[in-house]
Amino acid sequence: MPTRELASRIDRIVQLLQRVVIFAVLWWVIAEADPDGWLFGVPFVALAVVASLGLTPSRTWRIDPPGALKYAWYFVTQSFLGGIDVALRAIRPSLPLDPMIVRYRMRLAPEHARVLFADTVSLLPGTLSTGFEDDSLTLHVLDCELPIEQSLRDVEERVAGVFGLTLSSEGGDLRVCETLTGDECE
Amino acid sequence: MSVIIFGLASVLMLSVIAGLIRVERGPNPADRMLAAQLFGTTGVAILLLLAEAMEVPALRDVALVFALLAAMAAVAFVKRAWHPGPSEKGGGPS
Amino acid sequence: MIDAISIALIIVGALFFLAGSAGVLRFPDVYTRLHALTKADNLGLGFVVLGLSLRADSWVVVLKMLIIWALVIVAGATAGHLVAEAARTSHVVPWRRRS
Repeated sequence: MPTRELASRIDRIVQLLQRVVIFAVLWWVIAEADPDGWLFGVPFVALAVVASLGLTPSRTWRIDPPGALKYAWYFVTQSFLGGIDVALRAIRPSLPLDPMIVRYRMRLAPEHARVLFADTVSLLPGTLSTGFEDDSLTLHVLDCELPIEQSLRDVEERVAGVFGLTLSSEGGDLRVCETLTGDECE
Repeated sequence: MSVIIFGLASVLMLSVIAGLIRVERGPNPADRMLAAQLFGTTGVAILLLLAEAMEVPALRDVALVFALLAAMAAVAFVKRAWHPGPSEKGGGPS
Repeated sequence: MIDAISIALIIVGALFFLAGSAGVLRFPDVYTRLHALTKADNLGLGFVVLGLSLRADSWVVVLKMLIIWALVIVAGATAGHLVAEAARTSHVVPWRRRS
């Protein structure tokens, strides 16, 4: 057997086992460690593994643990600030809002990283992702005074760290959209 | 102690009422969908509190199902339910 | 002592829920309301989960609540993105302070 084929077969088995472990742990937690739960758990873990292999046959990304930890810490602190920021704006009588639509050219290329980027951005202070267009992410910003460009670049670097990716030298810049629906940007 | 938790769960019901007002006011379908999301998140919090106060662990499973259904509802809404017209108006306080 | 901290955390969580709902009622358009909903409610749920975790009987219950929270966060952020995109493609014009 050629070594390449052997390697890919081992890789498939490792991925299968990984998924079995992940879903079994999930079940164990959901059943709150009740041993009787396995009566239902075993068939459902099997079904979940089959479904996940059907939906994503092979995982093309990997997670870099130190990068993921850095991201987690950044996420916790920033989403805390994001919640406080919007809560204060919501209860202040003057309703301090000055929204705009912007378009950010992403330096991240892989789709999974872009999805994590968009979801993260929506939980940080003052930004809400509202759609992908080619290599750009269109965002709604609560207050145009906020230093959005810098924080978007920071998030992007942390997300790249999670998957051990290097950022493209292209992009990382922001344009303010003059038409309100973001169809055309300056 | 569980009385306090009951009290806090009922405070969260105020949040659900706010969502109901938003459903009533709209003005467009996206606003109503957003209120449905509010029910999802607040419902999860209320159920987790009740699971603790009433000592009914099964309510945590209900919370889990709430979270899953809220996600499905949003996707179904965007994919299927809302066929927007070309000039839907949404701006302006209401 | 633990009980007091736990209740305090849950109260903070409830305050974030109420602030988020204030935003959902007071903010002028669907986009700004989505900001209030995704950010404030997810943080509110985080504090509620944290407070309940201090009172939980076992670690597995803590883990379960954290999984539910993570699910709500991911679903909330993604749903917010999708609803905002649907609003934008159907020309729901964002509110602006000027003009």
